Amino acid sequence: MNVKDLIKSYGRKKVVNEVSFEVPKGKVLSLIGPNGAGKSTVMGMISRLIAKDSGAIHFEDKDLTKWKSRELAKKLAILTQHNNIQMKLMVRELVAFGRFPYSGSRLTPEDNAMVDKAIEYMELEEYQDRYIDELSGGQRQRAYIAMVIAQDTEYVLLDEPTNNLDIYHASNLMRIARRLCDELGKTVILVLHEINYAAFYSDYICAFKDGYIAKFGKVDEVINKDCLKDIYNVDFEIIRVKDKPLSVYY
Amino acid sequence: MNKVNAHRRNALVLAILAAAVILAVMLYLNINSYPEKPQLHAYIMSLRMPTLVCMVIASVAIGAATLVFQSIVNNRIVTPALLGMNSIYSFLHTAAVFVFGTGSALYLNANLAFGVDLVLMGVVATFVYWHLFKKTGHNILYIMLIGTVLSSLFGSIQSSMIRIMDPDEYDALLNSLVADFNNVNGEIIAFSIIALIVIWAVLYRDLRQLDVIAMGRDRAINLGVDYDNCIRRLLFGVVCCIAVATATIGPVSFLGLIVANLSRQILRTYKHSHLIVGAGLMGMIALIGGQLVSQHIFHFTVPVSTFVTIAGGLYFLYLLLFKKGAY
Repeated sequence: MNVKDLIKSYGRKKVVNEVSFEVPKGKVLSLIGPNGAGKSTVMGMISRLIAKDSGAIHFEDKDLTKWKSRELAKKLAILTQHNNIQMKLMVRELVAFGRFPYSGSRLTPEDNAMVDKAIEYMELEEYQDRYIDELSGGQRQRAYIAMVIAQDTEYVLLDEPTNNLDIYHASNLMRIARRLCDELGKTVILVLHEINYAAFYSDYICAFKDGYIAKFGKVDEVINKDCLKDIYNVDFEIIRVKDKPLSVYY
Repeated sequence: MNKVNAHRRNALVLAILAAAVILAVMLYLNINSYPEKPQLHAYIMSLRMPTLVCMVIASVAIGAATLVFQSIVNNRIVTPALLGMNSIYSFLHTAAVFVFGTGSALYLNANLAFGVDLVLMGVVATFVYWHLFKKTGHNILYIMLIGTVLSSLFGSIQSSMIRIMDPDEYDALLNSLVADFNNVNGEIIAFSIIALIVIWAVLYRDLRQLDVIAMGRDRAINLGVDYDNCIRRLLFGVVCCIAVATATIGPVSFLGLIVANLSRQILRTYKHSHLIVGAGLMGMIALIGGQLVSQHIFHFTVPVSTFVTIAGGLYFLYLLLFKKGAY
């Protein structure tokens, strides 16, 4: 996936300004930056949820807007932060929706096998006949990820997946994102607020500031004192834990 | 409760509802129908049959329209009627008569007139609501507010037109505009049925996407729905259904709200194929049952729409006050 000169304005304010980068295939890429830096908007545009003003997004050598919605849904899945579905839906039924791009609402035996696999992968077997509104926040998040896994896409986009999760569930979720990449070979793109999750679990980081890309590179190239100070206007100390840069701020 | 049981339960519920509809139809056709006096019997049937068919058509149209609409806007207490679709229809119908006059061919042929209404309504209302959704970003509070304003705006324009109309034309207009259960618009039955069948056949593929659309815009797009076009087409279907229902039996404001929510409450499923059938059947029970009560207990002193409005109003309050999670 290749992003070139992306621009998006709301009213007179340019929230995304000439953003260009290339998504490394088969890696975990995190988009970080202060509030309003444009990272979620970029995520929205590369997942076709938000229309871009100008620029180009190429996905597998084809313009994103030229893709048929259904075909794209087999290649690219996005999980947004708004996860309140009002429908009376069981976990298994939710996960089965991941097969919608392939078979509509009539599932084939292969679809059911994929659903089983996704549920097993997310360790949701015992909850699969429970209604999603009866689950805890962490379980529900896992159910949504299982749906994304059932969708069986090469690209998985997660928009602030750790929002509203406690430390236990958030770190669990980050490990899952890592496993999606390492075990299932997916390209994972995350929007994150917590710098340390980004530093620990991703291969590449793209840091935004005021709509521009402040820095794009491998974790060590971005997570260092000068770079972070530049992006967040806060003093950072960097400690190395398990050979990863951990940032401390106060 | 596991999935197989839930399915069986829903099938049973739908079967019971269907049985209740058949019972209501039998009662409606046979109570006091004087089968021993053939001429009287034939006369009574000639009155009851069109009413019955119109009620069935309207139930199906209102049930489907409300469910589809609620899934589009992602809210369970909003109905097309609340947003003024009925008043747009009345306005357009009045406007057509106002412009062309009751003497024109357009007016003399009921089917032609209704066809024009349907096209006008399809174009104008789809345009209006589509832009309403787009501009407000599907913000339900704005949609409600603007819908209410639109409803009285179109209502006022219509009443201004009526005021400056020729009294004879007004009289004729009223006859075709204010359909009610004891004065159904029998002439357009065949046309309505065909229109409904054609519309839903054309929209069949979009209807199959409803289960996903009900999960919200982002999720629907993620699962490969061509969202904007799909919504526009479905909205067109909703608008036409409301036009058909309003033309055949007149405005019944709360019926859609009742049947759509009861259907969701009783069937406890997300599948629109089941929900729409359930809502249609419940609409028939409410209307035909209501007509029975109105006819044989109240002897036409209290019209069905009054029952529906009272029950619907109370149910609406109940949803607002006690079912906070429902919307």
